[in-house]
Amino acid sequence: MAKTDLFSSYDLLPKTWDEMYNDSSVFRTQYEEFITYLENTSSEKLTKKEDLAKQLFMSQGVTFTVYNDNEGIEKIFPFDIVPRIITSSEWNKIESGIKQRLKALNLFIKDIYNEQFIIKDGIVPGELIYSCPNYLREMKGVKVPHDIYVHISGVDLIRNNDGEFYVLEDNLRTPSGVSYMLENREISKRLFPGILPKSNVRSVSNYPNLLYKKLKELSNKPEPNIVLLTPGIYNSAYYEHTTLARLMGIELVEGSDLVVKNHYVYMKTTNGLKQVDVIYRRVDDDFLDPLEFNEKSVLGVAGIMAAYRKGHVNIVNAPGTGIADDKAIYIYVPDMIKYYLGEEPILKNIETYQLGRPDELDYVTKNIKDMVIKKTDGSGGYGMLMGHEATKEEIKDYLDNVKKKPENFIAQPILRLSTAPCYIDGKLSPRCIDLRPFALTGKDGIDICPGGLTRVALKKGSLVVNSSQGGGSKDTWVIE
Amino acid sequence: MLSRVANNLIWLDRYMERGNGILSLLKVNYYANQDSPELFSWTPIMKTFTTYDNEFYTEDSLECIKFMVLNTENSNSILNIVTKARENARSVQEHISRELWLCINNYYLYLTKNDLPKKLEEDPVQFLEDLRNYHLVYYGTSDITQERGPSYYFMNIGKYLERVILISDFTSLKLIDISNTTDALEKSFYWKNLLLSIGGYQLYLKTHKSTFNEEHVISMVFQDKLFPRSVYYCINKLNKHINQLIDCKELEKNKIDFLLGKLESTIKYTTIENINNQGLTSFISDIKEDIRNISLNINAVYFSQNN
Repeated sequence: MAKTDLFSSYDLLPKTWDEMYNDSSVFRTQYEEFITYLENTSSEKLTKKEDLAKQLFMSQGVTFTVYNDNEGIEKIFPFDIVPRIITSSEWNKIESGIKQRLKALNLFIKDIYNEQFIIKDGIVPGELIYSCPNYLREMKGVKVPHDIYVHISGVDLIRNNDGEFYVLEDNLRTPSGVSYMLENREISKRLFPGILPKSNVRSVSNYPNLLYKKLKELSNKPEPNIVLLTPGIYNSAYYEHTTLARLMGIELVEGSDLVVKNHYVYMKTTNGLKQVDVIYRRVDDDFLDPLEFNEKSVLGVAGIMAAYRKGHVNIVNAPGTGIADDKAIYIYVPDMIKYYLGEEPILKNIETYQLGRPDELDYVTKNIKDMVIKKTDGSGGYGMLMGHEATKEEIKDYLDNVKKKPENFIAQPILRLSTAPCYIDGKLSPRCIDLRPFALTGKDGIDICPGGLTRVALKKGSLVVNSSQGGGSKDTWVIE
Repeated sequence: MLSRVANNLIWLDRYMERGNGILSLLKVNYYANQDSPELFSWTPIMKTFTTYDNEFYTEDSLECIKFMVLNTENSNSILNIVTKARENARSVQEHISRELWLCINNYYLYLTKNDLPKKLEEDPVQFLEDLRNYHLVYYGTSDITQERGPSYYFMNIGKYLERVILISDFTSLKLIDISNTTDALEKSFYWKNLLLSIGGYQLYLKTHKSTFNEEHVISMVFQDKLFPRSVYYCINKLNKHINQLIDCKELEKNKIDFLLGKLESTIKYTTIENINNQGLTSFISDIKEDIRNISLNINAVYFSQNN
């Protein structure tokens, strides 16, 4: 096959930053090495690699199950073989920006559940906090180790057409995807022998050790009993739960494996009850404790919150962190950074309109074709209106719905997500991507794994990268 | 160890052992059925190894094998058994070796391949052997990758419990046929078929040459000390693994070690004359009853601490 064929249908999107080509359609330096490799590899070989990647995901059991009519269909999260490449200077900015942001967000959570200076000083309106479903009164005045609430986070970034990274969402509850970051790298090692060391790609494999260290330092015991609490085998991230438990060498438990006695948490073992010291939970706040939250929950453990408040067990992330990654609170994060740290935000927020404000609702309604409207408590790409592709009826219906409770909605200008080359039908095509780096916060500071999960909207022209809506992922290389 | 994990480990190996047994039985019966379908029909096998509410029976070999291996409605089909084994393995991945998980996952993926039914039609024996190979790899992988500790002991309990049950079931199945004929040659066919099904024919020939003696078969199937698929051997292993779990405090002494010790000596010291006097059918049902009690006692250990 002719080399040029690979790039023959690479149609750049208008007004969009491309990760591989610069404005004058010349390859960016970080991509040169890999492109040389691609040019020297036949498309037959590349297609074979694509098949191999699929097989590897299946045989390693890297799958999730979609349930439809009681029948489970096992799927793999689509993987594009071409890595997304980030330079170290770009990375440094991302890293310092996320650290700054997490520092402020953590102070914010502590403040909100304690003195509430930020409300008293008029920076964030109190009614916004109290009306937020993710605000947990149960956390008021609770002392947490090292004052850390968010130990594990996955901030979503996008690159706009000005080449800058913007924060899309903070994800401070139970962000998932880190196992795909690890697995994608393992696959790349097998698909492109020798290329990773040649390109000086920074390793991501230390993540599980680092996570274990952060979990361990939450207990005073020399050998604390640390467990990972999963909602169970039917959860779409179950693969990730088993992987993290295995890689850290800790026990994977379900709610029914745990029991609370005299405000201590125990697991039921063949050898009797054994005390649990630290719980990395992948169960949402709402389901954590049927005594305090959703009483119908069978995923959690009755009495666990009381044990937590007494300091007998640590829960990671702390309950109630959802107050800080709520879409309505998002708008205030730049102000928080200034308020708590006295710094200018390194990473920008996306301009966001609160539809509870009549003038902003008016503006959004007039410019609806350029807007995306989201529910403040929605996630996973559901319940959104994309103004540019919605019909008149859809817009009308959606706005009618908005007007019932406008404070539950926000709007943002439709973003020009940057594009990266993807190997599709034997050729490279640009597809929209985002980036979710994974950060770990402990008493010695914040560590961010170099890279993260790049999600990609595999449908041509699509901006939705969520796996539930046709998204896939790429390996993410930070090169020295 | 978590009680749920112990339970899953036991069932992981029970399912894998059951799959291996059924595949072996199907292959042996296929050969025999091609020679004399009137002696080696499929219906008794289908009756024994499907659930009580099964209504599908066939004497067409390929159809039967397809039903017993790939049918999703048959809860004891190899596909369903392996699916369940895999679900158990999936939820205890941090307790089993990575290799063991990959082995069972690949077996499952092989079973769900679209072109698999075609292989059955091409050569049913190869079809069954290819599947059985996954079990052999599973045993080997478990042996050389799994550390000797509670996980391994619980898995072995599952394996040997299931094996005793299978041997008893296979024997009961043949005893019915044997009781229905007076022809000595036919009887010897059935005994030989039993040995083949549990994989002991070669050893029998080595030990007793090609002369068929009912008592020799019974003592080999039930009492042989060195044959890994004799009832005695399995009970002995079961006893060992249970005691290892008691030693590492994963299991309470309770009544299990007593029950097992008693069963082990019953089998060891019962003479072939005693068995003949009691009747093999009643001897087997006593063993089954004991195994049931032992199994219930193990269950009690991991369900009793739920509060």
